[in-house]
Amino acid sequence: MSTITALGIILLLMMVAVGGKKGVQSFLSLLFNFGFLYFAIILMAYHLPPLPITLIVGIIILSLTIFLSGTDDNASQSAFISSLFVLILLIILIIPIENWVQVQGFGIEDSDDLEGMSLLIGIKFIKIAISTAILSTLGAIAEASMAIASGLNEIAEQHPAIKPRQLFIDGISVGKQIIGTTLNTLFFGLFGGSLSLFIWFAGLHYSFGNIINDKVFGAEFIIIMFSLIGVIITIPITSAVISRRFAKRKSKSQSKG
Amino acid sequence: MNEVIKKLPIKIIIGALVLGFIAIFGTSHDEFLYQQPIFKVESVHNGNRMKSSDEFHNADYQINQKLNGTIMNGKLKGKHLTINNTFSHSGAMDREYHVHNEAFISYHQHGQSTIKDYKRDVPIVFLVWLSISLLVIFLRMSGVSALLSIIVNSFLFYDSVLINYQTQGDQVLFLFGTLAIIFSAITLWLILGFSRQMLTTLCSTIAGTLVSIVVSLIVFTFTHEHGMYYESMQYVTQLPKPLFLSETLIGSLGAVMDESTDIISSLFALKSERPQISRKQIFLSGRQIGASIMGPLVNVLFFIFMGSTLPLALLFLKNGNSIGYSFSMNMSLGIVQSLISGIGIVAAVPLASLFASLFIKGGAKK
Repeated sequence: MSTITALGIILLLMMVAVGGKKGVQSFLSLLFNFGFLYFAIILMAYHLPPLPITLIVGIIILSLTIFLSGTDDNASQSAFISSLFVLILLIILIIPIENWVQVQGFGIEDSDDLEGMSLLIGIKFIKIAISTAILSTLGAIAEASMAIASGLNEIAEQHPAIKPRQLFIDGISVGKQIIGTTLNTLFFGLFGGSLSLFIWFAGLHYSFGNIINDKVFGAEFIIIMFSLIGVIITIPITSAVISRRFAKRKSKSQSKG
Repeated sequence: MNEVIKKLPIKIIIGALVLGFIAIFGTSHDEFLYQQPIFKVESVHNGNRMKSSDEFHNADYQINQKLNGTIMNGKLKGKHLTINNTFSHSGAMDREYHVHNEAFISYHQHGQSTIKDYKRDVPIVFLVWLSISLLVIFLRMSGVSALLSIIVNSFLFYDSVLINYQTQGDQVLFLFGTLAIIFSAITLWLILGFSRQMLTTLCSTIAGTLVSIVVSLIVFTFTHEHGMYYESMQYVTQLPKPLFLSETLIGSLGAVMDESTDIISSLFALKSERPQISRKQIFLSGRQIGASIMGPLVNVLFFIFMGSTLPLALLFLKNGNSIGYSFSMNMSLGIVQSLISGIGIVAAVPLASLFASLFIKGGAKK
């Protein structure tokens, strides 16, 4: 048995033991996410335009992650709508920044891995870099919007008389509670993911100036920055979406009653 | 969105804009800080397209360009130069230069100077500024303290990398294992303050991470690491396996901490709301809270670990490799990392619930 299969089975068993049906769903969402991610790359290899593919796959991944791990339909819907807004805003940010920072393709540190390969493949790597950045932020957006949505939904259920405006303020304070740990999830992800790169930098005595201008470091770093910005803007956006939906539902039930 | 606009703090925003302007203006004029000569392009002449095609029938083209410009720093400041640059349509390792672009060059007194790399500190500083401003505008002090823990951890991380270099990577797993404990302690102290809750969360974080590493080592032994291609690890300058485990350990630590913090803080809140709740009930509600957040968290790390593998996977596919081979050589290690982190995150659910049920003060109140 391969290591991936063995670890996968163990993760599945643990998820089921901890979460039952929800565990199965969490595992499925991971599996589907991988499938769609790889499928997106294969489509790009067939010269389909990267940005539209990324947008479609991105929406599918967000909906899978949110609806497969959501407990409450109402909260999941709010989280999904908010995450779409965040996705669009992030795309508007990512495209010009990627064009400005120019970290597409590969750096000199990659030379060994690229030996013997043809780099002239006729696909613009800047587009691939934009797609990569967008896809990398999806997990963080989904997680943050779910956390805010489920927190606020619980408050709304416990205090049905709450004012929509107060609900928005509560959303920001839920955000304040999650931001510290989310920031750590992202940055430890960066530290872990680029540990060998940093060891390389240390070995070759890169200066601070060398590092912040380095292409490979830049590519990893800006992805974390985009995820971080995604998480930050998710907080007010999700709170606003939920307080609006709550206000609408309230006025509907009042006009009925 | 009206609420957002009304709540915006005008003073902080003006402050952020002023700081941003200073940071961007400063970084755009920071050439004097660099030792390497920096070249600013003033005019560009592009040659003709040279079409190319490789053995896999990938059609591309390349263009030679002549760049006229000036050196901006050092002893050669003010010197005019003409440099040749070749860029391709796909631009995997090259790029088209435009007027006003800046680049680091190798200067040769006799003969052609060459471009080394694009200067990208301005956009990096811009992104850092944007993130910090948004953090402070929306989240005020919580944003600042979160930021503080990142800064402290970054210094610790870089110091450990230097220690690893000085010890030639012999003790990499021990070193970063110790770092993981220090990281968790400092981060949780900054987020939660020193309290019973913080210690409980620390125990759960360390135990969860430990479980994931032990489980993966056991699995590695039984499967003989079949299907893991350490040779595909990038930027490796020392023994790959302990390095891989250290990467995974540090990478998953934040998420395990995230999961533990969420569960334990909810349980401490629950206990203070309903002091008569039993230990068993605490454990069960911890498991329920944990089960709903573990899925999204595993996905966060999955996308961070996998995202950066996409460009190389694409290059493999376009170089005539099969889908299976491209996967093995680029993505299998990322998947293993995601799975190990997943195991840590899921293990943290019962562990956090257990520690909370044991360590929360007092039994049922009279």
